[in-house]
Amino acid sequence: MENFSTMSKSAVKISSDLLSNPLCEQDQEFLNMVTALDTAMKRMDAFNQEKVNQIQKTVIEPLKKFGSVFPSLNMAVKRREQALQDYKRLQSKVEKYEEKEKTGPVLAKLHQVREELRPVKDDFEAKNRQLLEEMPRFYSSRLDYFQPSFESLIRAQVVYYTEMHKIFRDLTQQLDQPGHTDEQREQENETKLSELRALSIVADD
Amino acid sequence: MAGYQEGESPSPGENSGDESQGDEAIKILEKMKLNQRLAAKELISTEARYVHNLQLCASDIRSQLHELPEEDLDVIFSNINDVIKVNSRFLKGLEEAESEEEQLSLLGNLFLEFQEEMESAYKVYCASYDQALALVESYKKVPKLQKAIQDVITALVPQAGASGLTFLLVMPVQRVTRYPLLLQKILENTPPDDQAYENLQRATRAMQEVNSNINEYKRRKEIATKYNKLEHLTVRERLARINTHSISKKTLRLSQLFKQEAGIVTRTEDREFDDLEEKFHWVALCVNELKSNVASYLENLEKQRLERLVYHPLSHLSKALLGPQNLIKKRLDKLLDFERIEEKLAEAGSMTYEEEATRHTYQALNSLLVSELPRFNQVATQWLSQILHTLMALQRDLAQQVLQRAEGEMAQLPHSHVSESDFRKLVEDTLGKTSAQLHSFRQNFEKVLPVPITQPLQPAAERQVQTLVSKYGPSKLYQVTSNISGSGNLALTLQRGQIVALLQDRDTRGNTNRWLVDTGGYRGYVPAGKLEPYQVVSHEEPSMQTGSGDGFRFPPAEASRAPAHAAMPVFQVVAAYPFAARSSHEVSLQAGQPVTVLERQDKKGNPEWSLVEVNGQRGYVPSNFLVPVPSPAPWGWSLPPCDSPPSHM
Repeated sequence: MENFSTMSKSAVKISSDLLSNPLCEQDQEFLNMVTALDTAMKRMDAFNQEKVNQIQKTVIEPLKKFGSVFPSLNMAVKRREQALQDYKRLQSKVEKYEEKEKTGPVLAKLHQVREELRPVKDDFEAKNRQLLEEMPRFYSSRLDYFQPSFESLIRAQVVYYTEMHKIFRDLTQQLDQPGHTDEQREQENETKLSELRALSIVADD
Repeated sequence: MAGYQEGESPSPGENSGDESQGDEAIKILEKMKLNQRLAAKELISTEARYVHNLQLCASDIRSQLHELPEEDLDVIFSNINDVIKVNSRFLKGLEEAESEEEQLSLLGNLFLEFQEEMESAYKVYCASYDQALALVESYKKVPKLQKAIQDVITALVPQAGASGLTFLLVMPVQRVTRYPLLLQKILENTPPDDQAYENLQRATRAMQEVNSNINEYKRRKEIATKYNKLEHLTVRERLARINTHSISKKTLRLSQLFKQEAGIVTRTEDREFDDLEEKFHWVALCVNELKSNVASYLENLEKQRLERLVYHPLSHLSKALLGPQNLIKKRLDKLLDFERIEEKLAEAGSMTYEEEATRHTYQALNSLLVSELPRFNQVATQWLSQILHTLMALQRDLAQQVLQRAEGEMAQLPHSHVSESDFRKLVEDTLGKTSAQLHSFRQNFEKVLPVPITQPLQPAAERQVQTLVSKYGPSKLYQVTSNISGSGNLALTLQRGQIVALLQDRDTRGNTNRWLVDTGGYRGYVPAGKLEPYQVVSHEEPSMQTGSGDGFRFPPAEASRAPAHAAMPVFQVVAAYPFAARSSHEVSLQAGQPVTVLERQDKKGNPEWSLVEVNGQRGYVPSNFLVPVPSPAPWGWSLPPCDSPPSHM
């Protein structure tokens, strides 16, 4: 995300610096071209901002929200663990009393312990059940959950690049000979370079 | 030239109309004509031979010199082919003339026609001649190569003699300087009223011009090469360079500069040059800035094409800038020298040979820059424009590529046909729903907690809760979520599940993490984190379930027990063990015998003994012999561990 912005900003810098160069004052054609380029870059930057915002809204935030459920989920799991521990503990206590001689006091105690056990057991089972139900639901929901985000991401890109394409296509048609191939461009570069080198003031290396 | 006599310049106007003088005149004229024709013939024949030799050199000799590497051959022969081309055509033109009169006028015209072409071909050749010569000289030192070269030349051009290659290579240089001389000779022998005279005169002047241009070009090139070599010297080498000469040079310049700055000496204003330099400076600035901007842009972007088509040319352009920049600097140095010398000249009226040379150097350098900078600026600017165009085109292409891919992917998406604004709304709605869903998930997971605590309370606890509610109101009730062990002043020790009422949500020091609570009997501080708001749950009958954990303790540190305890209703307690009373205060117990507990402590407040009534008798029994069955353990009462009988009194 940051990359989008940095790239856009550096593109704008290219054109603004060019514009501020005094060379533009002397050469009308140059000035026109640079102004056009600058406008294009600035518009692209605006679009970029829009794109970033859109993505922020529809992708980043939902992602964050989804992630925020996890701490609660973890806590719930921990509590279940705790409940399980309590349950086990009391369960073993009950068993211990059950193995003892069935004397009055023992019986009394046994009863008491059993009574203690019951709510704990219920608690644990409730927790367990809940998690068993909810967690799968939660996990399976993620596919549907992210679907719109994913789509949105793609669409935002499409919109941005459509604009970019349009802007620069118009720009090149206006200023440049649009049909140049890469080889032609390289050829032009070579020509200019050799023109410069033909001058004695340019060092040969 | 040996066989010719110099014709005298006639001055026909001198003779009067004498017959004898007329004859004289005619004879002189005749002689002139003869000389003229001979001179013309010489020019043409030497031209033919010249061209022939050149061709020999360029093709036959060169192809046989295979011991030498290709680059060296290029240097040696430089643009001899261009020279050959020009001169061959020139020769053909010369040979087209049919009559001798025609020839003369043709001659003049031809030279004028070919002037430009000759100049451009020869100036290149002459400028690189020194370098070629140097290379040939170096070969002379290698005997094997030298012999090979010599053999080839002797075979093809015997008259070249021992000097071999050099003899051949110098031919164009000699030839171009010969033209003015040859033309001059013809001109001298041509009467001014001859129709060809004017042309010949112009031709002669033209060729002289060509020569001086060639010289100028050569000189500029030399200066440019001399100062343009970007030398990478180590510190040591730089130090070695410092000698008295260079130091004096530099100090002189520096003093001149100071004088200028101080206004003592006027600076030579060269408006034209300054403008050029300024423009050049802008171009340089533009290029370098663009280069660094594009570089940083590149970092964030897909590279290859952009690099090749934009960044590399920019680097080349940037490098090309260095040469002129260097020369401009040097010019400034030389200018200082020049001004100093001018000054001296004005005062002293003369200058040394060295100073003369310096002066010329400055002038040559200056004129070189003035003539070439405009072109440089122009080409550079054009190139810049081209590069920018390329940049734009690349942007477009990049956009197109990404667009295609993205559109391809989008077509696979379910909502691809939906318009953008509709889609956005759709997404917003969906997100709202899913967000709510997530929220509910979270809540689900979080509400797990209160389950165990919201057990129905025991009756005693119920009553306590009622008391608290009536005293403080239901909103102030909190339940302890986990065991609290109090430490320090006024800190309570509470068990999980216990209900308390909030008195204050901070302690006396303002700490909001410690709350002052009322347990219904005792007040103290507990950590706020272990309290949860409690909903009062109403029950119809006391439940049969035990409270979690073992009973509840109140800290014995509390000095006064609330009298409420004594007022607490009695409940069913059973003796767990038999007990034999040993004093009148005590009462005997049988195991399993239900008793009624009256007090949970003895007269001294010792909780180990309880006052009970059994079988109508009252007395004290060990508290830990008593066990509640099946009713829950009473709140607020300590229940000793069941497995150890109390120590006897």
